[in-house]
Amino acid sequence: MKIISKDEFSNFVDALIKDEKWNVIGVKAKGDKFAFGPLENANELRLDYDVTLLPPKKYFFPQRETLFTYNLADGSSAKNPETKPSVIIGVHPYDIVALFHMDEIFRDTKSDPHYFEKRNSTVIIGVNMQKMSKWNFAPYMGCAIVDYGYDLMLTDLGNRYAISVGSQKGGELLSKYAKNVNSALARDIQLVGQKKREIMNMSQQKFDFSTEMIPELLKETYEESGFWEKHAEKCLACGSCVLVCPTCYCFDVKDNPDLALEQVERIRTWDGCLLEDFAKIASGENFRPTRPTRYRHRYFKKGKYLFDRFGFISCVGCGRCSSNCLPNIANPVELFNDMYHEIHSKGVKVSPAQTPEVNIQTEGNIDYVPRLATIINKTVMTPNETLFEIKMDDGSELGHKPGQFAEISVFGIGEAPISISSPPTKKGSFEICVRKVGNVTNKLHTLKVGDKVGVRGPFGNGFDVDALKGKDLLFVAGGLGIAPLRSLFNYVVDKRKEFGHVVLLYGCKEPRELLFSKEMEELARRPDVEFKATVNWCPDGESWGGNIGVITTLIPQVSFDPDKIYAIVCGPPVMYKYVIADLKARKVPDDHIIVSLERRMKCGVGKCGHCQINQIYVCKDGPVFNYSKIKGVPEAL
Amino acid sequence: MKPKVAFFDFAGCEGDQLQVANLEEDLLTLLGQVEVVSFREIMKEHNEDYDIAFIEGSCTRLQDEDRLKQIRKNAKIVVAIGSCATIGGINALKNYKNLDEVRQIVYGESARLFDTYAARPIDAIIPVDAYVHGCPIDRNEFLQVVKSLLLGKKPEVPNYPVCVECKKNENICAFDRGQFCVGPVTRAGCNSCCINEGTICWGCRGLIDNPNENSQKEILIKYGLTVDDAIGKFKLYFGWQEGKR
Ligand SMILES: Cc1cc2nc3c(=O)[nH]c(=O)nc-3n(C[C@H](O)[C@H](O)[C@H](O)COP(=O)(O)OP(=O)(O)OC[C@H]3O[C@@H](n4cnc5c(N)ncnc54)[C@H](O)[C@@H]3O)c2cc1C
Ligand code: SF4
Ligand code: SF4
Ligand code: SF4
Ligand code: SF4
Ligand code: SF4
Ligand code: FES
Repeated sequence: MKIISKDEFSNFVDALIKDEKWNVIGVKAKGDKFAFGPLENANELRLDYDVTLLPPKKYFFPQRETLFTYNLADGSSAKNPETKPSVIIGVHPYDIVALFHMDEIFRDTKSDPHYFEKRNSTVIIGVNMQKMSKWNFAPYMGCAIVDYGYDLMLTDLGNRYAISVGSQKGGELLSKYAKNVNSALARDIQLVGQKKREIMNMSQQKFDFSTEMIPELLKETYEESGFWEKHAEKCLACGSCVLVCPTCYCFDVKDNPDLALEQVERIRTWDGCLLEDFAKIASGENFRPTRPTRYRHRYFKKGKYLFDRFGFISCVGCGRCSSNCLPNIANPVELFNDMYHEIHSKGVKVSPAQTPEVNIQTEGNIDYVPRLATIINKTVMTPNETLFEIKMDDGSELGHKPGQFAEISVFGIGEAPISISSPPTKKGSFEICVRKVGNVTNKLHTLKVGDKVGVRGPFGNGFDVDALKGKDLLFVAGGLGIAPLRSLFNYVVDKRKEFGHVVLLYGCKEPRELLFSKEMEELARRPDVEFKATVNWCPDGESWGGNIGVITTLIPQVSFDPDKIYAIVCGPPVMYKYVIADLKARKVPDDHIIVSLERRMKCGVGKCGHCQINQIYVCKDGPVFNYSKIKGVPEAL
Repeated sequence: MKPKVAFFDFAGCEGDQLQVANLEEDLLTLLGQVEVVSFREIMKEHNEDYDIAFIEGSCTRLQDEDRLKQIRKNAKIVVAIGSCATIGGINALKNYKNLDEVRQIVYGESARLFDTYAARPIDAIIPVDAYVHGCPIDRNEFLQVVKSLLLGKKPEVPNYPVCVECKKNENICAFDRGQFCVGPVTRAGCNSCCINEGTICWGCRGLIDNPNENSQKEILIKYGLTVDDAIGKFKLYFGWQEGKR
C-alpha cells in the first residue's frame, strides 16, 4: 500500500490531464448530484460523492455507439476510428464489481470487441466510499469493498490518500505521473482496514434475510401472479430502473443514414426489458405484454437467470434503481423482503442457493459488420412472400446447418433475423423465404436481382441432423414455419435413404397463401414421402382439393409409431400448444418433439437481451429446441 | 426523379414550418434530395402536384375536412407535423370548454358566423403515414423522418416515455428539482430536450400507447401538486387522446 498527500494527488491528476495521451474522466458535481465527466483540472474532482447519476459503464458501453459505418450504395464499411485510452477516477467498489459483471456478459460465447477495446485501454482508479446514498445496500451484496478489478484504489485518510495498487498498469501510471508517493506505514494500513469496516456498516437499507437465498426465493415466486401484479401496479414502464443500472446491458440496434443519404451508421443504444415493445415482434405479438411480466423479468434476470449462468446475483446494491423509480417500486431490498415474508408466511422453507457450475467460453469476436452478398434470384410466391436466392460475394459457402438463421442487412434500413430455407446440400448459394411485415422485410421485397444485401451468421443451434438419421420424421409446419423446416426437409429428401418414414403436414390460412406450391406438388407425387396440406378456409373463387381445417386436423390422419417418430414443429406462436398437446395425446415422448421458436432479435449472438425467454436465449441456445428442454420454461410456448 | 414535397397549414401557429425553414445548412442538403413545390414560409408559388404532403395544425372546422381529403388524394405520403396535427395539441385545450363560449372568446360579436368544433388531429379525418410529434417539432427528428421516407422506410417513433431519453442524458429528474413533469407518460423522440435545458416535460408529443396515467397522477400529487393541477397537467396536450372530443 502507498500513501500520497492530497496535494500531490491533485498534481498527479493535473499531470495526467496535461499529457494529451489520456482522456481523463472523474466524478464531478452536477447540480446537487454527481456524474462522471471529463476533467479539466483536479479541483473539479469530487471524491466525497455518494453515488453518480449514471454508472461508469457509459464509457465502455455508451448510451449510443456507432458499431460501424457503411456506404449506402455498395454496403462497404469502414472501421471506427481509434479512441484515446482513458483514466477514470473515483469509481466506487460496487461499480467496479458491476464492470466485472459486464465483462462476463460481453465475453460469454463471443466477445464484444466494442466493449473490450475500451475496457482494455482504460485505467480504473477506484475510491472507497466516504458517503453512501440512502438507497445503497452494497454491503449486503458483498460489493461495498473490493480487492480486484481496479488499477489503483484510493482510501481517504484526511489529508492524504492510501493507494492500493491493483495492477501493473496502475503502478506504472503512479510512478510516471505522481511524485512523493511513499510506502504506507502500519498505522495507515490499519486505518484503511478500519474505514472498510465502517463502510460495511454504513447502509441504511436492511435485508431481513440472507441475500444468498434470493435465487431460491425467486424460484418460489415466479407463478405468484398476484405478487407481481401488486408490486407492478404503479409501474410506468419508464425503464428508469434498468437504464441507470450498472449491470444492465440490453441494447437496440438501428441504422442512421446521413443527410446526403450516402453513409449510414449502424448504432446501438441502451434498451431495457421494462419498456413495452422490448419483446414485441413485427406481427404484433408481444411476448412480455404486461407491466407485471416485464417487472418480474428484471428481478429474475438479476437474481436468478444471471446467477444460474455466472454464479453471481447481478445486482451490486448501488441503489440507483430505487432512487430513480418515481412510484418507488423498484427497490430490490423492499421487493425481496416482501417476497421473503410472503414465502415464509406460507410455510415454505427456502435455503441459500447452490452456486452453479459455471463454464464461460469465448470463441472469438462478434462480427457486427455483415459480409456482402448478392441476390441472384427472386421468386415471388404469394403477394406477401418471396423466395430470395443469395450468393456470398467472396464466393464462400454460408456453411449453415438446417434450422440456423442469418441476420440479413438491407442497406439504409437495418437488419432482420431470417431462417435459411435451403438445405446445406445446396451449394454455391442459399435461399431465404421472406414475408413482408415491416421496414427491413418490405424494403427487401423491393430489391432486384443483382442488388446487394449484408449477411451475418449463420447463427443459432440448428437441427441435430445426425441424431435424426435413421429415424421416422413427422414435420408439422404452419404458415411461414415452412421456411426454416424446409432447410431440414429438403436435406432429408436429398439424403432420403438415411432416414426412415417421412411425413410432412403443412397448413396455412387459405390456398393462395400456400408457399413453395410447386415443390409441394412434386412432393405429393413422391412415393417415399407422405405429404398432407390443409387450409383454414377456402374463400369463394379459390380452389382447394385438400383438407380444410387447422393444422391439428391433419394429425389424426397419419399413423406412426410414437416411439420411433420424431416430430419437428414450426409455425406461428399460437400453434405450438395445440400441436404439442395432440402429439402428446398420441404418446409421442417429449424428447421426440423438436420445435423452432421465434422471438424479437437484434444482435443474434446472446448479448442484446431481446430474444430471451426466461433464462434461455433463443438466438444462441435456439431457435431449435428439444421440447423436453423447454417444457418447464414458462415463457417458451 | 426527386420526390415533390408540399407543406400545408391548418389551425396551428406555423411554428413547425418555421422550424423547417430554420434548418439552414441541413435544409440545403435535404433540398438536394427533394423538390419543394409549396411552402408558405419560404415561397409564394403553389402547386397541386406533390408526392409528400406535410400537414401542420389541427382540424377545428368541418370545412377543413374537405381540404384534408383533397390533400390525401393528391399525395402519396401524408405526414402530420407538430402536436396540433399529430395529437390535436394545445388546440384541444378548448375541447374542455363549451364550444359556444370558445367562439365567443375568439370571435366576439361575429361568433355566430364561424363554425368551430372540437379540435382534432389530422388522423381523425384522413389516414396519416408518418408523424413528426412535438410543439414545436424537433428539427433533427424532422430530418430523420424525411430521410426515412426517402429511403422507403416507415419512420420509427418511439413507444417509450421521455424518461428513457432523460436518463440516457443523465439529467437530474425534475421531481428532484422540486418541479413537476409528465415525461413518464409522454412519447419520447425529442431527446428529452426540455429537461436537458433544466425545465420539465409538458407532454407536447402526446401520450405513449399504454400510459399508466393513474400512477403518473399519483406521483404528481405525492410530490405536491393539487388534484386539479395534476389534472391540468394532462389537459395541456393530452385532451384529444384522453377522449375529450
Ligand atoms: C430465428 C428467426 C427466424 C426467422 N425466420 C424468418 C423467415 O424465414 N422469414 C421471414 O419472413 N421472417 C422470419 N423471421 C421473422 C423476421 O425476423 C421478422 O419478420 C423481421 O425481423 C421483421 O423486421 P422488419 O424490419 O421488417 O419489421 P419491423 O417491425 O420494422 O421490425 C423492426 C426490428 O424489430 C425486430 N423484429 C421485429 N419482428 C421480429 C421478429 N418476428 N423476429 C425477430 N425480430 C423481429 C427486428 O430486429 C427488426 O428489424 C424470423 C425471426 C426469427 C427470430
Ligand atoms: S423505474 Fe419504476 S416505474 Fe419505471 S419501469 Fe422501473 S419499476 Fe417501472
Ligand atoms: S438492480 Fe438496482 S441496486 Fe442493483 S445494481 Fe442495478 S441499479 Fe444498482
Ligand atoms: S433484461 Fe436484464 S440486462 Fe436487460 S434491461 Fe432487463 S434487467 Fe437489464
Ligand atoms: S425529468 Fe421528467 S422525463 Fe426526466 S426522468 Fe424525471 S420525470 Fe422522467
Ligand atoms: S420534453 Fe416533453 S415538452 Fe419537451 S419536447 Fe419533449 S415531449 Fe415536448
Ligand atoms: S440476445 Fe440479442 S438476439 Fe438474442
